[in-house]
Amino acid sequence: MIDLIHVTKRFGDAVAVDDISLSVARGELCVLVGTSGCGKSTTLRMINRLIEHSEGEIHIDDQQIRAFREETLRRRMGYAIQSTGLFPHWTVARNIGLVPRLLKWPKAKVQARVEELMALLGLAMEAFAGKYPHQLSGGQAQRVGVARALAADPDILLMDEPFGALDPITRQSLQDELRELQSRLHKTIVFVTHDMDEALRLADHLVVMHQGRIVQQGRPLALLREPADGFVESLLGGEDRGLKEAALLPVSQRMLPLGPRLLARERIGQHASLREALSVMLWRHAERLTVVDDDDLPVGELSLRRLVGVRSDE
Amino acid sequence: MRLEKSGPNVVLLSLTLVALAAWLGLDTVSVAANRIVPGTGYRVDEVIGAGGALATALPWLALAGFAWRPARRHLLLALVLVVLMLSALPAWLALSAVTLVDAPQARLGIGAGIWGVLFLLLLALIELRTRLVLSRLLGWALLLPPLASAALCLARWLEPLALWQEYRGRSGQFLGAVGEHLLLVGVAVGASLVLGVGLALAMRRWPGVQKAGFGMLNFLQTIPSIALFGLLLAPLAWLSANVDWLSALGVSGIGWAPALLALVGYSLLPMVRNTFVALEAVNPGVIDAARGMGMSRGQVFRQVRLPLALPVILEGIRITTVQAIGLTAVAALIGAGGLGTFIFQGLGQAAMDLVLLGALPILLLALLVDALLGALTDILRPGGAE
Repeated sequence: MIDLIHVTKRFGDAVAVDDISLSVARGELCVLVGTSGCGKSTTLRMINRLIEHSEGEIHIDDQQIRAFREETLRRRMGYAIQSTGLFPHWTVARNIGLVPRLLKWPKAKVQARVEELMALLGLAMEAFAGKYPHQLSGGQAQRVGVARALAADPDILLMDEPFGALDPITRQSLQDELRELQSRLHKTIVFVTHDMDEALRLADHLVVMHQGRIVQQGRPLALLREPADGFVESLLGGEDRGLKEAALLPVSQRMLPLGPRLLARERIGQHASLREALSVMLWRHAERLTVVDDDDLPVGELSLRRLVGVRSDE
Repeated sequence: MRLEKSGPNVVLLSLTLVALAAWLGLDTVSVAANRIVPGTGYRVDEVIGAGGALATALPWLALAGFAWRPARRHLLLALVLVVLMLSALPAWLALSAVTLVDAPQARLGIGAGIWGVLFLLLLALIELRTRLVLSRLLGWALLLPPLASAALCLARWLEPLALWQEYRGRSGQFLGAVGEHLLLVGVAVGASLVLGVGLALAMRRWPGVQKAGFGMLNFLQTIPSIALFGLLLAPLAWLSANVDWLSALGVSGIGWAPALLALVGYSLLPMVRNTFVALEAVNPGVIDAARGMGMSRGQVFRQVRLPLALPVILEGIRITTVQAIGLTAVAALIGAGGLGTFIFQGLGQAAMDLVLLGALPILLLALLVDALLGALTDILRPGGAE
């Protein structure tokens, strides 16, 4: 879907992005992660030509991006950024309808689409449509930013630290919403962040960048288990990697069927992560947990040995 | 906040006390036997006697009382009182005219006491308007009773008022002068708006122009206005002598041409600076989003950058216009006409009331334009601030 082939970007003599190659498959959420100035934002902005690449080729659906007019290319891609970039002089509804209007959709269709998106992102039409951006909370503004990016139903979504300025709780709930949205919409998303927890939580495909190069890419679990070098390892949290990995695995992967023994008193939901299960054990001083389904009915059990023991997927 | 809740309103209290002192201590009116001789000043007690003067202190004391305990009800009463007192000022002039002026050539002048009280009462009105959070429109409406009172008194009793006499001698000329003044200001501001926006846009595109442009405009601003008129005299005189169509247009070393050129020159700096800063100061995140969404350059400028910059650009137009209204007065020196004519005539004839006939309308015009453009800026700030 998106292919970067030996792409380099120079600003004068400085090399911002150094010969990177990257493929993002259709429907995949690819997260670029790295420290400030590693070239991740530059890479993202080269995809919609806000920055022109110096060397190499960038393809969208096997067509060079330079084959399109800049505006045409950008209108095909959703774009969401950190400070939301909402237009302060436009209402929420007008902000969301921006790209459809640029594409000259008929008025009624734009209106219907705006209503649909506001419902999708949990923004009540009558409460928010007429509001101006400065009347919104950070989380609401960011939802509007995402709605605006999705407005013309683009296949591709580019997101540049969209949740960067939010408090941790709002940030996590928006991350969950994005995952949930993605499981329904299957967009091809390139997402830039410097927050490794956010990257691990969201990524199908994780790309670690350092000094303009891609140091390692792959599935998050693969990177956690086999970091290519010390830099990736430290970025992934060093000694905390065990907990980060546990946060990615659901309880259901490690639990055993209910045995003949008595049910343990402490319970954990089957969709909770192993990290949460471990935390419950530490907090309750319990070696065993009863795993329950959504209706709070026991479906299995998880022991400490089992939790930390042999990996079930190996 | 503490003051607002329990303590006295210090602003209103001090305004009231100073105004009372000015009212009782300074000459409220002066009477001159004719237009040229200096007049004799009269304090309040010299017009209506000491007892009467003490009686006029009563409303002031009431006002001070309301300021001492500024509950909302008291402030509303104070507002009514201030409007009534403003309306009473023309009546005081009428009373003085009737009691003091006997000869037909004698003239009544407005004294320092009245000017001071007028100024302080207007300040009190602003303070009360702010405290009571009244709308802009209502604030203006409060001036209607005093204006009506002034019109009535002028028509019935204020025949001998010097300012009125000067106006009556020149009523035809006066309207013409106001027209000339406004025309000069309008054309100068209009031209500098077109030039200024063009220049600001060029500065944004080419950084070289920016440096040179601001340097030149700053230099222009430092030349005293009279000197600039003088400097323009020779080249324009030469041009009108040598270029036929220019002289046919009425361009010459004196008159409207140098006045307009100088006015445009002075107006350019505030206009360009505000326009430039306004366009530059738009949040880069918003511009980035606009481009990233696929807006063309023209669309970004017309739909995002310009509307967001507009309140600050209007601010520039407001400053420029107010400044030009004042500067145009000086242009009368080189025969450009306008209200400045009366000021310089009055100075030449030592007739201060004629000077006032020029200066007061200039002041009023400046205040009016300031208020109108200020209101327009508020309207164009959609959904409040950023």
